[in-house]
Amino acid sequence: MRKDTRFVWVLFLLLAWNVNTVLYAGGTKEKGEVKGTEAKAPKQIRYATIAEPPSLDQQVITSDQATTIAQHVFEGLYTFNSKYDPVPLLVESESISSDGKLITLNLRQGVKFHNGKEMTSEDVNASLQRWGKFGVRGPVLFNHVNQVKVLSKYAIQIEFKEPFAPWKALLAFINGGPVIYPKEVVENATKQPIPENQYIGTGPYRFVERNPGRYILLEKFADYQPRKDDPDGYGGKRIALIDKLYFVPVPDVATRVNGVKAGDYDYGEQISGDLYEMYSKDSSVRTLLNEGVIMPLMFFNSKEGIFKNNYKLRQAILACLDMDAALQTAVGPKNLWASNGSIMPKSTSWYTMDGTDLYNKKSPSLAKSLATEAGYKGEKITFMVSSAYKIHADIGMVFSKTLRDAGFNIDLQVYDWATLVSKRGDSKQWDMFFTHHGFIPDPILFTFMSDAYPGWWSTPEKAKLTEEFTVTMDPKKRLEVWKKIQTLVYQQIPIVKVGDVYNFDVYAPRLKGLGNTQLIWPKFWGCSVD
Amino acid sequence: MLRYVLKRFVSMVPSLFIVSIIVFLFIHFIPGDPAQILLGDMATPEQVQQLRQEMGLDRPLYVQYLYWLRNALKGNLGNSIFFHQPVLGVILSRAETSILLASMTFILILCIGIPVGYLSATRYGSRLDQFISSASMAFASIPTFWLGLNLMIFFAVYLKLFPSSGFPSILKDGKLSNLIYLVLPSITLSAPNSALVIRITRASMLDVLKEDYVRTARAKGLPELWINVKHVFRNSLNAVISTLGFTFATLISGTVVTETVFSLPGIGRLVVDSILRRDYPVIQGIILTIAVVYMIINLFVDLLNAWLDPRIKSGAGASV
Repeated sequence: MRKDTRFVWVLFLLLAWNVNTVLYAGGTKEKGEVKGTEAKAPKQIRYATIAEPPSLDQQVITSDQATTIAQHVFEGLYTFNSKYDPVPLLVESESISSDGKLITLNLRQGVKFHNGKEMTSEDVNASLQRWGKFGVRGPVLFNHVNQVKVLSKYAIQIEFKEPFAPWKALLAFINGGPVIYPKEVVENATKQPIPENQYIGTGPYRFVERNPGRYILLEKFADYQPRKDDPDGYGGKRIALIDKLYFVPVPDVATRVNGVKAGDYDYGEQISGDLYEMYSKDSSVRTLLNEGVIMPLMFFNSKEGIFKNNYKLRQAILACLDMDAALQTAVGPKNLWASNGSIMPKSTSWYTMDGTDLYNKKSPSLAKSLATEAGYKGEKITFMVSSAYKIHADIGMVFSKTLRDAGFNIDLQVYDWATLVSKRGDSKQWDMFFTHHGFIPDPILFTFMSDAYPGWWSTPEKAKLTEEFTVTMDPKKRLEVWKKIQTLVYQQIPIVKVGDVYNFDVYAPRLKGLGNTQLIWPKFWGCSVD
Repeated sequence: MLRYVLKRFVSMVPSLFIVSIIVFLFIHFIPGDPAQILLGDMATPEQVQQLRQEMGLDRPLYVQYLYWLRNALKGNLGNSIFFHQPVLGVILSRAETSILLASMTFILILCIGIPVGYLSATRYGSRLDQFISSASMAFASIPTFWLGLNLMIFFAVYLKLFPSSGFPSILKDGKLSNLIYLVLPSITLSAPNSALVIRITRASMLDVLKEDYVRTARAKGLPELWINVKHVFRNSLNAVISTLGFTFATLISGTVVTETVFSLPGIGRLVVDSILRRDYPVIQGIILTIAVVYMIINLFVDLLNAWLDPRIKSGAGASV
């Protein structure tokens, strides 16, 4: 061997030995130790989330990642059972006056906050007041509220200006909803999220710490007072069997799956549809369908531009679209999507096909004739989609191609999410944009039902039906009104609903008690680990 | 020398000032509103405006900049809009991962790049040289996300020798063994960078090997190893050190793809996530920090080159 070569090899081996001695020898030993101590250590799971939430303050944040974590810490007055009907959580009983304007809520007694204090109606009142003033969804309810009164230590009364049918669904919806904080935490809180050192709720887990970029840690709350009724959906008895929950941001989908397979995580959320068949046959992981529907929506600009008051042109666009092709391209396996024209999904009591004649028509010829009737002469149509969500970009591409083939002059503009959100606020900059809607318990919470939401759908017909919808208390009559609203949506077309999309998650076989499907936000009370 | 170093440090001040203005303008001119992103889809324009006022985003740009500058000069980079924590704390919490990952990768690059590049140059034209050249080209061409995922599947999922992703803080846990989390990411990062160093080392040494003084040394009958190490390798180091300096700065300031694949809480991911969230204070603080890191590494590289080649310090030779 030449002297040069010997020199190089000696240098290389010395350096390599040095590095490996520091890293690998210590590392493998420690890894064994970690595995050894895990058996004795408290039971814990590591949940791989797609992103970090900005805050866990549910009153002012609507991020799904935040709700998945925060629902273990905070509780509201009501929640949902497995059929998505509102059921009491912190409330023991309720009474409603004959005119429907006075709601009296009797609270459960002996419910403890994580700081040891007992929850009373003063805490509930302060929490509702802050949510009503600053909460993201609070004004939807509080615009109809005259006042909230504390009747006694455990009773509170909400007085409405007129009967307001969706009150219970709004109180039950934790995402952007009225979770209950201690009075001293919430009474001076504003629009800014409550700081982490004041995450004090009544849930079965308490907040321990947030290590940015690494994890959020929750720990079993020893003094939790569960309800007595049987578990049903998010309702009923909540028993924490796992001591610690780690929520770890793992942005890459392949890493989430590989991490579960390698044993580094116990649960990985939102796995790509194209991997569903592969992992449903893989014995090292379990797959779980998430019932929390995602509804891809395309909005029209009702305020300005080519679509303003031009319902015929909007109908032409809708008549052209092939929802099956778009959903197949964007999602993949057929059991993860449904081309459903009903604005509310099939699993809810709001499902109706009224007015959906033009949905999934896939007819370029009809589109052309409707466009001619509408006076369309090839003007540019600005269509904004975001690359931040694969489903938006994919469906946007399919729709653009379909519409161009039918003779529409589509100017597809692809932006990051922040840019799209900023641009859609300016009615002069767009004609159509793409987004999606998560599950909501009551159609009144759809973004397009708000006159102020970009798209700005505001017509006398809508106003009249919305008013009727909110004051009608009887569920059957409300459904009839909703059918009329859906028919109006398909006439005036403020939005195009593409269909229903479902996510699937993967989890480690050692995790028990998750059931066959997952609700909107995965929950871990009632679950255990081997 | 001390005077030179001080002069360089003083010259950083205007550079940092210019960087801060450019970054401030750029991030505020791109569309997007942190208040809207924070509040989500359901927020009304009034609620968004209210939060903008609370955040001070409704003030004129120059007022916002002067306010930021005044605080920055006092060492306060503001609070993250997203994390609701001081920017400095957020950056420091990510710096641990980036510094350790960059250092481990750098050690691997040194272990592989320089010896192999040396070998390739001293065996110029041989089959070994051809093999090294082809292999280094191949490694330079492998996408890091592909290599990273394959290493993860093989070593973490099947062999279970290494953790698949994440990195628990050593500063917090006090466990040096947490470095095992960085083994696969550092191998992933070292592959293309080692290839670069191999090629630079080889090319620089080949240039020097053609010099007259090397021929003279051989004619004098000096041992080959002595000539290669003392005369050839040492005199080719300027270009190698400049490349290594640049590589280290790049590794410190962010390796977004690798950090994403291995879910590492590093500087690179923080930059990208902060831009997507329009977390202005973090973007501003982090870019300034990266600029300082680049300047210090450049200074260090210049000092090292001057020490290796005194002509640079005296101005007689060309700076690399």
